[in-house]
Amino acid sequence: MSEQKFTRRDFLQSACISVSALAVSGSGVSAFGAEDTKKSGNSKGLPSCDILIIGSGGAGLRAAVAARKNNPNLTVVVATKMMPSRNATCMAEGGINGVTDFSNGDSYKLHAYDTVKGGAYLVDQDAAIKFCELAGKAIAEMDFAGTLFSRTEKGGVAQRMMGGASKRRCNFSADKTGHILMHSCLDDAISHGVKFLMDHELLEIGVDGGKCEGAVLRDIQTGEIYPILCKSLVVATGGYTRIFYNRTSTPYIATGDGVAAALRAGLGFEDPEMIQFHPTGVQNGGTLITEAARGEGGYLINNKGERFMKNYHEKMELAPRDVVARAIEMEIREGRGYGEGLSSYVLCDVRHLGKETIMKKLPKIRHTAFLFQDIDLVEQPVPIRPTAHYSMGGIEVVSIDDMSTKIPGIYVGGEASCISIHGANRLGGNSLTDAVVTGKLAGEGATKYATNATFGEGAKTVELAKAWQAKFKEVANGQGGMSDIYTLREELGKQNWDNMGIFRTQDKLDALSSALEDIQARYEKIRVADSNAVMNTAFTDYVELGNLILLSRCACLAAQKRLESRGAHTREDFPKRDDANFLKHSIVSMKDNKLELSYKNVVVTEFSLDGRKPQ
Amino acid sequence: MKIIIDRFDGKKKYESTYELTSAEIESKTLLGVLLLIKQTKDVSLNFTASCRSAICGACAVRVNGHSYLACDTKMEELLEEYENPESMRISPLNNFRVITDLVVDWEPSIENLRKVKPTITPKSEFSEKTGCVQTQADVDAIKKQWDCILCGCCASECNKLEADASDYMQPFVFTHAYRAADDSRSKDPMIHLKPAIANGLWNCVHCQECVDRCPKGISSFGDIESLRVMAMKKGLNEGMGPAHAEAFLLDMVEGDGRLNEIKLALRSEGVLANTTKLDIAYNLMKAGKMNPLHIFGGEKIEGHAELVKMVEAARKAEKEGTIK
Repeated sequence: MSEQKFTRRDFLQSACISVSALAVSGSGVSAFGAEDTKKSGNSKGLPSCDILIIGSGGAGLRAAVAARKNNPNLTVVVATKMMPSRNATCMAEGGINGVTDFSNGDSYKLHAYDTVKGGAYLVDQDAAIKFCELAGKAIAEMDFAGTLFSRTEKGGVAQRMMGGASKRRCNFSADKTGHILMHSCLDDAISHGVKFLMDHELLEIGVDGGKCEGAVLRDIQTGEIYPILCKSLVVATGGYTRIFYNRTSTPYIATGDGVAAALRAGLGFEDPEMIQFHPTGVQNGGTLITEAARGEGGYLINNKGERFMKNYHEKMELAPRDVVARAIEMEIREGRGYGEGLSSYVLCDVRHLGKETIMKKLPKIRHTAFLFQDIDLVEQPVPIRPTAHYSMGGIEVVSIDDMSTKIPGIYVGGEASCISIHGANRLGGNSLTDAVVTGKLAGEGATKYATNATFGEGAKTVELAKAWQAKFKEVANGQGGMSDIYTLREELGKQNWDNMGIFRTQDKLDALSSALEDIQARYEKIRVADSNAVMNTAFTDYVELGNLILLSRCACLAAQKRLESRGAHTREDFPKRDDANFLKHSIVSMKDNKLELSYKNVVVTEFSLDGRKPQ
Repeated sequence: MKIIIDRFDGKKKYESTYELTSAEIESKTLLGVLLLIKQTKDVSLNFTASCRSAICGACAVRVNGHSYLACDTKMEELLEEYENPESMRISPLNNFRVITDLVVDWEPSIENLRKVKPTITPKSEFSEKTGCVQTQADVDAIKKQWDCILCGCCASECNKLEADASDYMQPFVFTHAYRAADDSRSKDPMIHLKPAIANGLWNCVHCQECVDRCPKGISSFGDIESLRVMAMKKGLNEGMGPAHAEAFLLDMVEGDGRLNEIKLALRSEGVLANTTKLDIAYNLMKAGKMNPLHIFGGEKIEGHAELVKMVEAARKAEKEGTIK
């Protein structure tokens, strides 16, 4: 069978995945129509592939291509919750950081310095330096792989300035860099013969004898829950800012499933409390109004009609993101905003720029305001409020060289991972770089490992799959209330926002901690009002909500114990950065179903902690 | 108002009707309404959505038979478009296999993209270490095609796919083939052009519905035309499609300016192939769609001389290299 004609169905029927999954699922309905179990790569005849990648954003797709390039003999499969391209990567606009032009005195080290400083020194400096070296190279690589970058006069990739950068090094493609980059990643993966398992959800990671054995997947289309063995696993499922369900800029599907599964499998969750807030999301749901609104001269206005930023920063609306975000929240808290509770807001006004400028320079923002707030920016200001944007924390990584974790065989990349490049605050333009750089490294690491590894026995993964099959029967029994999941999801978002949002205190976090216990208890009682196994998206929502609650508990625990203010983590009761006690990463791990918090030192090598530029 | 949704639970088809108050619809997008139904009225309703800002392409559905990106469509616009109807019907995209409710199978589409090798093979002077060189003008030439979000709206409207999908791919696949073939960094457009030809390039029926419905304003029809021009220029002008196009031109210039249905069929497929289609010809004549006397030529259309002049000017310009 030629590579081009290889469909998913063929793939399932071929050597990689074979029939015995039936024995486990017991459902009698099978996607695995094949007869031949002998060809399968493992002794038990379970479904298997050499490298399994979970997630098809920038990181997952780059990992897949790296694996195909490094060892074409290995089977590489990308499992993804919808189809590849419905992800957060495609939503990025600004650009991708990486030094390609050294003529203006820029260097990898300077990029690393900006990154470390921007990350409020919670960045592991050795990782940041390696990351920035690779970032510069990644741009040329993506160009070669087909990314349609905007160009300079000489035909090179064009760059723009971004916040926190001391040189112009943000490579871009108009104002849709993420979309263009993601589609070139997808094209590249398709052209390299990467196979996809679409509409597949990660439920659990199987670890046996301290090694990765495989994963439990749910084929959402058929409802089948089955174990799949792999020699190595790459987790690239993105971030978890959906814990603020009703106030985040990320896509619906980015619910941190991989981070939660890794935590349950025994890996550490590093710096979970570090969540970046973007100052301007639309009031109604939190989709981004990009910085351009302020960049082009937009005003932020409180309910007294004042440009309140004058009270906070000399640069007014163009102050750094975190300053603007805190200022908006402060106005709302002190009664100078509009609306109530989670629907509170201030206004962003661009009317003074004139219709022509708005139409020409801010058409996208105008469209966003129209879609979500039903207003025309030419005539009315748009209600905005900060919105959760990026998770700096993620699965603990042992080494940036291969993005390996403490469990042999498990590799992570992108926003799901934390090798601590971003520390306590990510610089604009570093997220796409993170996706392509760490994704590729994870793919290479996983390939090297899989080349020399053998399949596990699968007993543990089979057991986990059986537990999930039982859980589906128990939970999706059609007996629940219609909106139980969604009411609880809103409640979770509100609790997190009110108590673990931009301003945090001990009292609020303690209150959140008990609220989360209550939410967890209510979650256990939820029954899904749909028992059909076929494409049961309500059950998907249910699983996601469970993960979000777990990740919220981790973030809350770490935030309760970090008695300082650093980057995105603002503790009003501890307003200063405290390097003496907290120049360390929080690591939350799970033992016997209980969360434990420990710490790991930040790696400090080249850069001093007082903000001085390197010589 | 009533929202009627075409449902499918994996085994049987049915429809569900939801009554919505005007307050529930006010200021919402179509996606907002779908979410409201799922989260408060019927959790068994399945659809997909992700970015809610018109960039991921997950939430395309049909309203009253036409495709829309749900997150990018305001209810008030829909109401206006359909003149405040009492009910609206929401269905899954057409020309895709329906998995359930509003969810369709994208796997064959990914396999179609695989056929046209959607990424470029860069010229040999470029490398992974140094990247490529490209002018902004060359970027601009294909940047519209790069706006494609794989939402499937074009495919849902495609009349050719509806008639027979066995020898034709989704319109967006041709757009992807074209953007790779026309990329100035690309070593050889043939890598993408040949599979496009092998998979139905000449079978587009020119209805242009894909252009009409693309939420990003992309013309897959135009990209198909551009690929055809590319094919002719590369000497890939064998077969019925190119002969058909040639016949059009002949009629326009050397004929009377009117499409001569009889000659067109004879020139495209040859006399032998057409003897099997005499029944179609008979039906066409009976319906007054084809005049048998036209085989001897007909009256010239008004302004025929100007038309010929234009074609000749274009040919001259092409020879002189003033147009591509």
